[in-house]
Amino acid sequence: MHNQIASTLNSKVPGANAQALIATIGDSSVLVEAGKILDVCKILKSEGFNVLQVITGTDYADRIEVTYSLADFTSNREVLIKVKLSRGDGNGNNKETLPKLDSVSSLWRAAHFQERETYDMIGVNFIGNPDLRRILCPDDWTGYPLRKDYVVQEKYLDMVVNPAHKVNTEDHMFGKKLKEQIGDPKKVSASWKDSSGGNADEEAKDGE
Amino acid sequence: MQDSVVMMKVDDFLNWGRKNSLWPMTFGLACCAIEMMATGAAKYDLERFGCGAFMATPRRADLMIVAGTVTLKMATRIKTLFEQMPEPRYVISMGSCANKGGPYWQHGYHVLKGVDEVVPVDVYVPGCPPRPEALIEGIMTLQKKIANERILRDKWVKHA
Repeated sequence: MHNQIASTLNSKVPGANAQALIATIGDSSVLVEAGKILDVCKILKSEGFNVLQVITGTDYADRIEVTYSLADFTSNREVLIKVKLSRGDGNGNNKETLPKLDSVSSLWRAAHFQERETYDMIGVNFIGNPDLRRILCPDDWTGYPLRKDYVVQEKYLDMVVNPAHKVNTEDHMFGKKLKEQIGDPKKVSASWKDSSGGNADEEAKDGE
Repeated sequence: MQDSVVMMKVDDFLNWGRKNSLWPMTFGLACCAIEMMATGAAKYDLERFGCGAFMATPRRADLMIVAGTVTLKMATRIKTLFEQMPEPRYVISMGSCANKGGPYWQHGYHVLKGVDEVVPVDVYVPGCPPRPEALIEGIMTLQKKIANERILRDKWVKHA
């Protein structure tokens, strides 16, 4: 199905550069050119994918991917459309330094809030969104919390976010200390990836 | 009972009235609020302790039960609500999140580490979430605290 969608997109949207990413584990998706997302969504909507389920973003440290989950209830199909964006500079509050993407809120009204959430959490500037403000965080918040390089602010208004007398800072480094003191990942239940390649339990690695 | 006289200390009389008509504010933040609602409902019946009248406005409430995660965004509102309550006012911090940040203690960029950072707390109820019995115990602890207040001496008699 994904190959078929990709070829349809390539024939109908010039420059879409759609390619099907067929996954062996997990969900397959269709990667398209970021600048053509509005045209791609228009075509897909006319092809039957008329329900926008979710717009979300992921920070992969070197790039940001925005995922659109579209559904076609009459023939029971779902497709994930992905676009890759450069990370931009998400440390300030300047919208201009964020990665830009065309808004699809002209096609689906539901996209409005989804785009606001993606903007709030990941920091993607959706061009053409009628009211791109933060939706979960307060309006005067700094930074985009789900970015990998997000730094927790010291203070919000007059409230200290991590007061020293409340937070057990020794426990912050628990995983790191464990790694230094014990050395052998097999001896502890919370394991980590061994540099020698012995134990590769990636999920349980707890280094800060 | 006509023409009869009851003699008691003014403090005791005021405290008796206050502790048996604690009106909480209708106000919940997260899953602890579900337990708070259960406490107020038929099975646990907060009305037995005189505090089942959940007031829809802070201006008629005596007690604020902070039930749930206090985010930084909400903290400013909680402070406003607390300031809108008339004195005497009491605060119960219900559940781990309101006590000290709960599971958000380490990576909770958005969570206030304890509601006592913004409002004074009288009773802490531990638990995640606390069972209705635990909240009732917290309320009874608060009632004991109120019963031991010395309003006249502390507030109106100078140089006591």
